[in-house]
Amino acid sequence: MNYESLALFKLYLITAPILFVIGIYAIMITRNIISVIIGLEIMTKGVTILLAAAGFFNGRPQMVEPLIITMIVVEVVILMISAGYIINIAKKHNSLSVENIKNIKG
Amino acid sequence: MTVSLIFIPILLVILLNIPRLSGKAAYYAALAFFAYQLIAVFFPEAVGSAQFSQVLGRWFRLNVSADGISKVIIISTAIVAIAALMTSKPFIKYDSRLFSLSNLMLLATAGINGIVFAKDVFTIYVFVEVIAAASYIMIVLDKTESSLEGGFKYLILSSIATVMMLFSVSLFFLVAGGTGFREISDAVRNFGGNTVVMLAITLFMSGLLIKGGLIPFHAWLPGAYGSAPAGVSVFLGGIITKATGVFTLIRFFYSVTGFNDNVKMVLLITGSLSIVIGAIAAITQKDFKKVLAYSSISQVGYIVLALGAGTSLAIAAAVFHIFNHAVFKSLLFVNAAAVEKQTGRRDVDSFGGLGYKMPLTSATTAIAFLSAAGIPPLSGFWSKLFIIIALWSAGCRGFALLAILASILTMAYFLNLQKKVFFGEMSPNLEGVKEAPLSFTIPQIFLCAITALAGVGFFYVIKVLIFPSAGII
Repeated sequence: MNYESLALFKLYLITAPILFVIGIYAIMITRNIISVIIGLEIMTKGVTILLAAAGFFNGRPQMVEPLIITMIVVEVVILMISAGYIINIAKKHNSLSVENIKNIKG
Repeated sequence: MTVSLIFIPILLVILLNIPRLSGKAAYYAALAFFAYQLIAVFFPEAVGSAQFSQVLGRWFRLNVSADGISKVIIISTAIVAIAALMTSKPFIKYDSRLFSLSNLMLLATAGINGIVFAKDVFTIYVFVEVIAAASYIMIVLDKTESSLEGGFKYLILSSIATVMMLFSVSLFFLVAGGTGFREISDAVRNFGGNTVVMLAITLFMSGLLIKGGLIPFHAWLPGAYGSAPAGVSVFLGGIITKATGVFTLIRFFYSVTGFNDNVKMVLLITGSLSIVIGAIAAITQKDFKKVLAYSSISQVGYIVLALGAGTSLAIAAAVFHIFNHAVFKSLLFVNAAAVEKQTGRRDVDSFGGLGYKMPLTSATTAIAFLSAAGIPPLSGFWSKLFIIIALWSAGCRGFALLAILASILTMAYFLNLQKKVFFGEMSPNLEGVKEAPLSFTIPQIFLCAITALAGVGFFYVIKVLIFPSAGII
């Protein structure tokens, strides 16, 4: 890895945690359950970028491709299930507020 | 054994869905597979799995292998899955729901088998998500308000955990140039002090601690266990969180990165916090299933505490406690389900003297909690003894003392539960209650026999299963 690509790589290494933190912040701050899932997706996108960058700078992009494709498939499955949850919660309470899922006390 | 246990459940799910069969067929197919799994561990050559993997090997090339730890987890999975499926049946009114539940349990079992045999951190991630997806759906099969809430919290926290694990997988890829166990352990050996490697280990460990429901990452666990349908709580509490969280932790540290002092300290502190806070929270609970949920946190604390010692004996003790916990905790959840089915409620204060009406349930609950509290000769005693010996010999004497003292707390909340529900004056609203039907009593006797036999014949169990898993013999 020469100096120029190292500088370029640092850009990715900074971007990925920033996206990760934005996602966590979105999950904590939002009042809407759809935004919670969007926050989760932002986190996953940050990790995807990091994985792709790691493959590229390691000189093994062909090894990372199947991993990223698998990851996207898994992500879509989880997204479908959470969409099912959101539809059912919205039907039960007739609103999308986070307050609806704060009733159980540990 | 390895390939067939991953692929047969997936093939079964495909066969059951095209063309779609009835719920009963799916139920018996799933039970048959779990029994097959139990047999396949003890007689790996006799059940045609070699031929199966040979046929399958023409199309797939999987990087899997079995070792001693995987055997123990596979046995526990099969036992818990049989009990969970049998317990679910009386609660289910519709054929289609029985069909979904059987399919989902097969998928979750395939996922657990996948994790157990995996030799690659990315494979572990994929199978963790398979199990998680199946359990998100299982929790809300009844679509009650509380289960939607508990399940959604589980979904969010556990997805954050998997994203953290994935972050660490990409960091490992960056350093090691691959995701296999061997590449990563080479990289850790060569650049152990590197910041990136440390960050990757920390992230992976935090993800797994969330998955295992350790304190302070336990927020999702009581809601998910307490609100899931009865049989699903057996499966969740018995094996799912242990396989995805704690077993993967053992695998990661034991086979991949090895222990260092910081990791050991984190594990010891998280473990002891979970033991104490979980037990104290269990004393204050009013809901039968939530008492069991918090006790689950406390018992998982023991496993992680043992892991913190980092020696081979500690690994063996942790694996043995996973097995014992799977047996006695699923027995307790089965009994909670039986009580709920026969009386229609779970509030601990509303019972009293239920033991006169349901003697078998009362007796098996007593045996399960005696095993959990570590009373000889039941199997829980031996694993706790090994945990304490391992901690003492590794020099963590304060933590060993804490483990002994916390057993008293365990005794306290279980005695409280047993006294309020089964002993004492019979409350007048329990007049018409009868003993639970066969689909509860069979798992009760089965699990009770396992915990008693494994306790009496502990020497044999340890020699055949537990010590080989940590490479002691």
